[in-house]
Amino acid sequence: MMIPIQDFLLLGALRFGLGVIGVILRRNVLIVLMSIELMLNAANLTLVAFGRARHDPHAHAFAFLVMAVAAAEAAVGLAIVVGIFRNRRSVNLDELTLMKH
Amino acid sequence: MLLLQPAVQARLVDVSELSTFSGARIAFWIIAAIVLLGALATITRKNPIAAVMSLVATFFGLAATYALLSAHFLAALQVLVYAGAIMVLFIFVVMVLNRDEVEPIAVRGAFTKAVGVAAVGYLVVKLGYQLSTVLAPMPGPPPPEFGTVAQVGNILFTDYLFAFEMVSVLLLIAVIAAVVVARAHKREESPEEPQT
Amino acid sequence: MTAAFPLHLIPLLPLAGAAFALLVGKRAGKDAVTLVCLGVVAAAALMAFYAVYLLHGQLPPGGSLTDAFFDAPWMKAGDLEVHPGLMLDRLSAVMVMVVTGIGFLIHLYSTAYMEHDEGYTRFFGYLNLFMAAMLILVLGDSLLVTFVGWEGVGLCSYLLIGFWFDKDANAYAGRKAFVVNRIGDFAFLLAMFLTFSITSTLKYSDMGGVVEALHAPLWFGLPGAYFVGILILIGCTGKSAQIPLYIWLPDAMAGPTPVSALIHAATMVTAGVYMVARMHVVFEVAPATLAAVAGIGAATALFAATIAIAQRDLKKVLAYSTISQLGFMFVAVGSHLHGTSNYEAGIFHLVTHAFFKAGLFLGAGSVLHALANEGDITRMGGLKKYLPHTRWTFLIYCLAISGIFPFAGFWSKDAILAGAHAALWPTSPNPGGAEIWFAAHTGQILYWTLLAAAACTAFYMFRLYFLVFEGEYRGTEEKKHHLHESPPAMTVVLWLLALGSIGIGLLGIPDEFGSRLDRFGDFLSPVLQAQARVETRSDFLIGAAIALSVSSAAILLAWVLYGNGFSPRVKRFVAAVPRLYKTVLNKYYIDEIYDVLVVRPVRWTAIIFWRAVDSVLIDGTINLVALIVGGIGKLVRYLQNGDVQRYLVGILVGAAIIFWGATNWTARQGAKFIVTQHGHEVIVTAAPEDDLAFRRLRFRVEWEGGTYTPEQTATIFTHHYDKAGKHKITVEAFDPRWGTHATVSQKLVIK
Repeated sequence: MMIPIQDFLLLGALRFGLGVIGVILRRNVLIVLMSIELMLNAANLTLVAFGRARHDPHAHAFAFLVMAVAAAEAAVGLAIVVGIFRNRRSVNLDELTLMKH
Repeated sequence: MLLLQPAVQARLVDVSELSTFSGARIAFWIIAAIVLLGALATITRKNPIAAVMSLVATFFGLAATYALLSAHFLAALQVLVYAGAIMVLFIFVVMVLNRDEVEPIAVRGAFTKAVGVAAVGYLVVKLGYQLSTVLAPMPGPPPPEFGTVAQVGNILFTDYLFAFEMVSVLLLIAVIAAVVVARAHKREESPEEPQT
Repeated sequence: MTAAFPLHLIPLLPLAGAAFALLVGKRAGKDAVTLVCLGVVAAAALMAFYAVYLLHGQLPPGGSLTDAFFDAPWMKAGDLEVHPGLMLDRLSAVMVMVVTGIGFLIHLYSTAYMEHDEGYTRFFGYLNLFMAAMLILVLGDSLLVTFVGWEGVGLCSYLLIGFWFDKDANAYAGRKAFVVNRIGDFAFLLAMFLTFSITSTLKYSDMGGVVEALHAPLWFGLPGAYFVGILILIGCTGKSAQIPLYIWLPDAMAGPTPVSALIHAATMVTAGVYMVARMHVVFEVAPATLAAVAGIGAATALFAATIAIAQRDLKKVLAYSTISQLGFMFVAVGSHLHGTSNYEAGIFHLVTHAFFKAGLFLGAGSVLHALANEGDITRMGGLKKYLPHTRWTFLIYCLAISGIFPFAGFWSKDAILAGAHAALWPTSPNPGGAEIWFAAHTGQILYWTLLAAAACTAFYMFRLYFLVFEGEYRGTEEKKHHLHESPPAMTVVLWLLALGSIGIGLLGIPDEFGSRLDRFGDFLSPVLQAQARVETRSDFLIGAAIALSVSSAAILLAWVLYGNGFSPRVKRFVAAVPRLYKTVLNKYYIDEIYDVLVVRPVRWTAIIFWRAVDSVLIDGTINLVALIVGGIGKLVRYLQNGDVQRYLVGILVGAAIIFWGATNWTARQGAKFIVTQHGHEVIVTAAPEDDLAFRRLRFRVEWEGGTYTPEQTATIFTHHYDKAGKHKITVEAFDPRWGTHATVSQKLVIK
């Protein structure tokens, strides 16, 4: 009946990896933001899995706080995307290189 | 090649657990497949709406995973906050901007990005291998109140009260910041810009 | 006996005024600045006078008011622990009254004098800042606190000399004053260090208790007090414009005239005299340093007085006069007799001089005001018709400085002359011929030098008076039309100072004319054990008669020569001795001599250092480093492509490398072995270094093609080789925790 903790951690690692690949590859800022959500979720999953393994509910409180921060990040991030689009008429990351040398 | 070294057979723990597939474990991997496929779809779909929808699917899958980990409160929150609130926000923005992507992956810097993907692959594979060698097995079922709203709420409002309040302030700031950043700046407007 | 009193308010009030004027003065407006700046000085003066009243009325004669405004030490290093504190004894009481009293009058005068100046608020800010610094100087209870004020007044002097800094000459004069003063300040600092190393204290009130330490021989078998005394003397020659550091004061006249009156006549320049009196304990231990003080003072008095005779600039004459009068004070505080010195006469002259010299400068300011800053006395004359108040008060000041009975200068100068005449220095145990002669005659030399200086003083002052106010006007017609008396704020101050110049001397009538007449001496004597005057009434009368007749004769001569403009005799005299005249007119070429001896060598050294060391060596090195860094930056900036996704790749690759290195570390370090050979029997010891991290490693040994000893935790392997020849042994180390492995091999020859 038991599911080994390794399974959860492996799932988290894979999900995190997919998120990172999304951030690296995709041009669309919106997809990049979603990929960041994937990564945050993966971290959360790991936290909860360890919490379960140690029977420690504090992990849940932590995961809760991470969710709140993720919500704030999504709100501000999307606002920035809207602001950038207003100015540059584009949401493609590779065109947003104002910080270039 | 490293993984396939015949000599590396040693395990620090009894891993018999890893090779038995109970019903629950099979159920877990079905859910995990949903999560991973959803994630894969999220990062590969050309159409942002499709990406958002796939993401919603992974969130549900993740909520189910939380349930398997006896994190009932978080499972509910995952659905409410992510699938409910954040994704709605995403959909709004996608609809406002509504750009069809011609070229989802930029050609420029392709080599660099390939190196990055390889590095990620290396890290994930290495980590996955490590998982199978070093960790202790999952302990028995937790006490019945584990992961309930009552328990998590109790912790949040005692041990993490300050952090909790700070997060509320952070959210308030984020709301204000979002309004300020996304608001139309009159001075910078040019005639052809859309009013949003 | 001491009592506490919030003395810190006295300097703090002007400081607040300065802050107000300098920070918000422009916005607050002229009226507000006038009100605040004069108000704080008046308040400080009232507080000071109240404090003096308490000191005089409530405390026994030797008492003092103290104020330790911080409980915590100000600075602490080794044995040195300085508490910032202020102290008011009878000596500083005199100074405080002069500074705040005269200071307030000059502030009042300046409201009219500077009225149309653009820098009005800045001027009053600096003036208040000066008041604060000067009050800290005189109220400080230790050398260090005094030094704060000492440097503060130097700064204010610099700022105010260069007040009209848009003219190069003024800025240069300010700089000169600052640099020359710096030499003196450095000596003062050294004196402070030496004092501390000898006595372990800097507090004035402790000085009486460390006489023993001051007596102890330091270098060359001389007591430490000699060196401290000489260093303090050098510091004082800088601040009080004595030979050899007097050269800055004539140039300091570039500042506004009220500044000359306040800083360069009445208060700051007297700080040197104050310091000698303040450190009297040190000087008394070393009488020879007192001789040096008196000698420098006498030389300066005569030297500056002769220069003043030939000067043509109104303020320059007064400047040299100030130098000369400061010389008188130095002689007084240096006139040694019976283990003490004629301090009270010096301080007394300081007070009277503050009145009449401030008055002279302010009178000169009034003249300049009327003549639109025309300072050349050859183009003045006959001004008595147009400036009656200025003329009468100026006449009173001239009489006072010339030492005419009964004006203030008469009494104070007489006290100095009498002290110098009576001065006597102790001789060493086995005096030689010259020493005996000097011990007997130094007082006489001082006396006659001062008398000559006094004659010159009377002469040049009345030369000035006659040329400015009497005779016919020699300037342009245009300026004549604009001649006018100064506004009441100025004339009132002139009359108040004139009253002081008449009356203040009466506080110091010698006791020979009735007991308790010498109020001034009585007031100071508890602090500075005053010289026991040896003169009798007839001695005094003889001395006074000589001084008076000399001064009167000089005035008469001035009247004959200059009573009605330049008389033909003057021109003939000048024509007869052209070289002498030119030398004196050019101030004995002292500035030029300094230029050749000091300024130019220093400047050339500086230029060499600048060109060779600074430009080439230091700048070159720095530029080279900058060039290298810049070059690397140029290369690296191509990585800064603005693409966040590629930045992320950088992070990930870095993480992967770190992960790879960390996980392979143990296996790589453990993959080592030693071979021991016994014929065909070979023993391999893997991981010979005993390290905790290696214990989890597992090893596998490949002996020769395809022959293994399988993986195990043991580290010792044996193998029997059947045939001789070359063999290769390979050891493979596995780290089961990270799943990493490393191999190492070695060739072996079996015979």
